Amino acid sequence: MNIIYVLIPLSVILMVLALAFFFWAVRNDQFDDLDTPALDILDEDDSAPGKKNAPPRHGEHGDDES
Amino acid sequence: MTTKHPNGCWHCGEDIPAGVDIRATIAGSERAMCCHGCQTVAQLIDSAGLQRYYEFRDALPERPELADASGSDYAAWDRDAILEHYARPDCDGFHRLTLVLENVHCAACAWLIHRYVGALDGVAEIRVDVTDGRAHLTWNPHQVALSEIAARLAALGYRPHLDAPDAGQARNQVERRQMLKYIVVAGLGMMQVMSYALAKYIGAWQDIDPQSERFFLVISMIVAVPVCLYSGQLFYKSAWRALKHKRMSMDIPVASAMLLALFSSVIITVLDAGQVYFDSVVMFIFFLLLGRYAVLVARQNAGQLHSALARSLPVQARRLTDEGSELVTLVELEAGDRVQIGAGETLPADGVIEAGNAMIDESLLSGESTPRRRVDGDQVLAGTLVRDGHLTVRVENLGQSTVLSGIVRLLDQARSFKPRMAQMADRVASYFIVFVLTGATVAGIAWWQIDPTSALPVVISVLVVSCPCALALGTPVALAAASRGFARLGVLISTPDTLEKLPNITHVVFDKTGTLTRPDMTIGEVRLEHDAASRDQACRIAGRLERISRHPVATAFARHDDGHAVGDAQAVTAEGVAGTIDGTEYRLGKPAFAAEWVDGELTEPGDGQWIALVSRKALIAWFRIDSPLREGAHELVEGLRRNGLNLLLASGDRADNVARIAGELGIENSHGDMSPADKLELVRGLQRDGARVAMVGDGINDAPVLAGADISLALAEGADIARTQADLVVTGRGLQRVSAAFALAPRVRRIVRQNLAWAFGYNICALPLAAMGFVPPWAAAIGMSASSLLVVLNGQRLGRRPSREEGRGKKGEGENTIPSTIPPLTSPRSP
Repeated sequence: MNIIYVLIPLSVILMVLALAFFFWAVRNDQFDDLDTPALDILDEDDSAPGKKNAPPRHGEHGDDES
Repeated sequence: MTTKHPNGCWHCGEDIPAGVDIRATIAGSERAMCCHGCQTVAQLIDSAGLQRYYEFRDALPERPELADASGSDYAAWDRDAILEHYARPDCDGFHRLTLVLENVHCAACAWLIHRYVGALDGVAEIRVDVTDGRAHLTWNPHQVALSEIAARLAALGYRPHLDAPDAGQARNQVERRQMLKYIVVAGLGMMQVMSYALAKYIGAWQDIDPQSERFFLVISMIVAVPVCLYSGQLFYKSAWRALKHKRMSMDIPVASAMLLALFSSVIITVLDAGQVYFDSVVMFIFFLLLGRYAVLVARQNAGQLHSALARSLPVQARRLTDEGSELVTLVELEAGDRVQIGAGETLPADGVIEAGNAMIDESLLSGESTPRRRVDGDQVLAGTLVRDGHLTVRVENLGQSTVLSGIVRLLDQARSFKPRMAQMADRVASYFIVFVLTGATVAGIAWWQIDPTSALPVVISVLVVSCPCALALGTPVALAAASRGFARLGVLISTPDTLEKLPNITHVVFDKTGTLTRPDMTIGEVRLEHDAASRDQACRIAGRLERISRHPVATAFARHDDGHAVGDAQAVTAEGVAGTIDGTEYRLGKPAFAAEWVDGELTEPGDGQWIALVSRKALIAWFRIDSPLREGAHELVEGLRRNGLNLLLASGDRADNVARIAGELGIENSHGDMSPADKLELVRGLQRDGARVAMVGDGINDAPVLAGADISLALAEGADIARTQADLVVTGRGLQRVSAAFALAPRVRRIVRQNLAWAFGYNICALPLAAMGFVPPWAAAIGMSASSLLVVLNGQRLGRRPSREEGRGKKGEGENTIPSTIPPLTSPRSP
């Protein structure tokens, strides 16, 4: 049973990581539009126009000020 | 999910008028179109290889206007001031900008825009938010001009407006994101803490060793404390604010229950004695947050487009300088500048007329429908429309100091105003809170006497189980969902109280003009009087001639105008038009006007309104001009009568005309030749006899009458939506939406009542049980959450998408069989 002393703190650490990732996603507009991406899958064309010359997106260029 | 209109225009779904034969080839097959506007847009979509739009869409677009597709309208959008004022620089020369688009209906619109505009070089991203019609654009101004992007959007029929940086918008986003974070933290935390709690409960049966049990306790605390402190912030802060202002709020018992349970559990854990409630607290917070999030999103979505359109002033103006005139953007204008404004343009700022005179439509500001003549020295206001004439205006007030912005601020205030039903629920809830707090104290003191160890769990249980959130959530959730449901039907609600009054309505008064009939006229019949001309030729000549006319009759011919040059064009007021096409002189107009060119009198060949097309030599053709009933007028009248409503028709039109339309629709009670004052008197008279009157008008012409009625409904399209003063605004074409609104309203009231009844019943039963100690805190948290969730889910039923009629569109496409008049969006709701 001693393994739980490792596994459970590990689960807490994983949860913290998941939350950190989620916060990052929220900050980078991932949750602002929940309607249109559903249609992207219907696109047979692989070269989505948005991709070809998108500026590099880093966390620090996102909506951090908000 | 395909939305097609088998017997109407392939693009917009409207019926194809008699005599129109316009076709476009979409994905290899020929499709019928109703006008050149639709044809242009459809061909544009096809040539860009985006025909799949027609498969994706689940709402029909508005009929596009032909004249919109030129890039020059947006020339001023390329000025640096626009970049500075509206856009935010991103990295590598890219800029970000938000546009408000008209006519965005469904996710397919967003897809179409994404594909068509996103395909431009230099556009990194364009993301359209379907809920509020905003497009978020990231582009490089050096590679592609903003005016070109705007022209592309306009060409698709989505006319763009620049969105002034709006603090409210940013605040909404911050609020929504913050809430999302709270919820996810609480949700993940809840899963963790519950699993530890479960381990502990199972362990209790299987002889868990005390060391492991203690470990689970400590780890629960380590997870629960930060989660509760972070996710519960909203409640603690709000309760603190309420306490500071000495108000009662629902958050006071909520926050005290949370903090009491949390800190007692921490103390118990540290002392290692008794029961802990970490799982209950986290669960409590999570479910409460879910309810709050639903309310927040609903509140934010309601009427966002509304305020955006109301804000839209022209972005450009022609400024007079010493050398001449230059096109500048609104943000470059300063007080004291002189600007030129022509017919059909909107005034960019408040000011004084220096030269010229014009008919100005001030309906946006005053609700006064008849344009007024304004001359030198008169004051003119931003947002008013110049109907005809030219003006030079000296600018006095701009931006935030204009009368218009004041009105928009008022509108926004009106929107944040709580509906009466919700206010009442709040008031009841606040009495209830006092009751709960007293109850908890009394129970606590009583149990302290009986059994000190049970006092704490009982107090927590009482506070949690009787949390009046179901009571306070029930009404706003239902109303928010209802306004979403109404929005799906194409009905915007501008006064929240309307939902409460709508089911009580007994009389519906229609204003004929533009309500039951279409705003544009159509050619009802063509009679050729000359062998040389075909029907199509005659229509085309008439279309070219009517191009310069501003008379409503001209709208009937607009779709036949092919842009061919017309010489010596002139419009004779109230008579007709004349012009020369390919060397032949023509006249088109009233029989008397046309008869001047041909020998003898011309008599109208039948009933109705006829105009004649003549050349110098002979009569060519007669056109009968109809103002046709709107699609669904019959169904509306039928539907309302089935609901037991009394219908009246009151119009300023000629009495015989009004009687004819009333007869056609089967409305017995009709009044013609009514002035607005007469209409108001009619409404007042009905009200004196105890009737509750709903007035259906176009929202601009009959503002005073609309205001006099118990409820006003207006039919409006495009930018007019913002100009209406009505309680309910029905957008787009379909009149059935009005009857759908009447059908939905009683359901709203029923669901609100169900919610309130449930919340009351539950709290009244649960409180004594908890006070007597029968409900442990975890059960209290589950009970409370289940009750709130039930209320939220029940309320959500109102926002569901109306089910579509099955089998539509499976009929042979393009076959002109029975004309179908019901567009899919307005099909009856499933019970």
